[in-house]
Amino acid sequence: MTHSLHRSGSIESLRGDYVWLMYQAKGINDKNIKEKAKEFIAVAEVVGSENWGDVKSGPKVCLPVEEIKNKIGDQSRLRGVFTRKGQVVQFLRMIKEKELGISVIISGLLKETLEACKEAGLTPHTINFSLGVWGRKELLPQEEILSITTMCGHHMIPPGLVREMMEQVKAGKISPEEAGLKLAKFCPCGIFNQVRASRILATCFSTKA
Amino acid sequence: MARVDRELCTGCENCLSYCSVGAISIQEGKAIIDERLCTECYVCIRNEICPSEAIEATPIESFIHQFQHIISDPTETTAQTGVPGRGTEEAKTNDVTGRYKKGEVGVCIDMGRPGIGCYLRDVEKIAMAVAEAGLILEGPETTPLAQLMTDLKTGKLRDDLPNVHFLSIIIEGKCPLNTLLSVLKALKKVEKEIDTVFSLGLASRVDEKGYSPVLDIIKQFDIPQPIRGKVNVGLGRPLVTD
Repeated sequence: MTHSLHRSGSIESLRGDYVWLMYQAKGINDKNIKEKAKEFIAVAEVVGSENWGDVKSGPKVCLPVEEIKNKIGDQSRLRGVFTRKGQVVQFLRMIKEKELGISVIISGLLKETLEACKEAGLTPHTINFSLGVWGRKELLPQEEILSITTMCGHHMIPPGLVREMMEQVKAGKISPEEAGLKLAKFCPCGIFNQVRASRILATCFSTKA
Repeated sequence: MARVDRELCTGCENCLSYCSVGAISIQEGKAIIDERLCTECYVCIRNEICPSEAIEATPIESFIHQFQHIISDPTETTAQTGVPGRGTEEAKTNDVTGRYKKGEVGVCIDMGRPGIGCYLRDVEKIAMAVAEAGLILEGPETTPLAQLMTDLKTGKLRDDLPNVHFLSIIIEGKCPLNTLLSVLKALKKVEKEIDTVFSLGLASRVDEKGYSPVLDIIKQFDIPQPIRGKVNVGLGRPLVTD
């Protein structure tokens, strides 16, 4: 699964978008993960992860935190999103200290993410590099829509719904923040960055007004 | 399978904007789901988008429709790989699995992504092209698509599936670094022969500065240097060092 890898948008916009993932490996360290997962959640909450969730139950923007915690099982996958590089540094430092032994991945702009690793005293092991979109690119929707829909790599955010949100923001029926939150609820993993989405929606509105 | 109860449907058209692949339309004043286009992602069902509760999930009986649903709905788990979503760990656990060793490169081809969807006939074209170029395709224990292949060495898929539609599905494999150029050339050629898009990821071991020889190979091929990546920070244990 490479669902956090290919997020679209300008470098400036992507500077406010870092995904964190906790990932247990099948047959190696995938048993009795609940307590370790709760440690990840505790750190994410301290650092201020704007959205996070477990694909098996749902994201924080839809469910009470305690409910997500209670439902954690060995097939759970915990992941979330930060909006600042400083949060990534703090998160990595705290997780490193806990020595949980579970794989940790940060998906984001390479320059900033590698700087964060260095500041946290970590040596990257492996990188999956995004080489972009190939094939019939003329089929893709406009960039503003793509920069929002690709924040759920499983594509649970329908482009038609993003268009609808843009129109409602433009008409003043809904605020960019409300629209961002509504869209975030469609991403079951919790890696949708509603803060960045609302910025895009607000900018799109002001640009076109 | 996702279907509309025509008795309950009021024809309000609310559902139309919620389908990424345009499988829902209005016919004779009622919504209908085109089974040929629907990927069984269940966005329309899970999010309870219908005010009349007319969209419902009916039992999925065939293997291929179950497979289609499990791959397209990230809340499901692929049994053989044990991984939710599209069912692969790829580089995310490489610090403990060692799937990609030094001198190797992992290739992840996200077919149909972002958001366009793909038919297996196009997936097969790409899989066969990269396999011929030297990519060693991952087996069914690590990647779901392999369950549909009749020959892992060639990337050939079952003959009865060309028109099965997915929101996205991943072709995964690895090769020695010195084979990557021929794999990229094959992709450059075959990308013109498909009716969809794909997103490409290249996974490899890196040094402390995040450098990988993959970046030099990309330069030779005139591909822009990547600005985004997914960094495994090496906190998994026991740590694989080779």
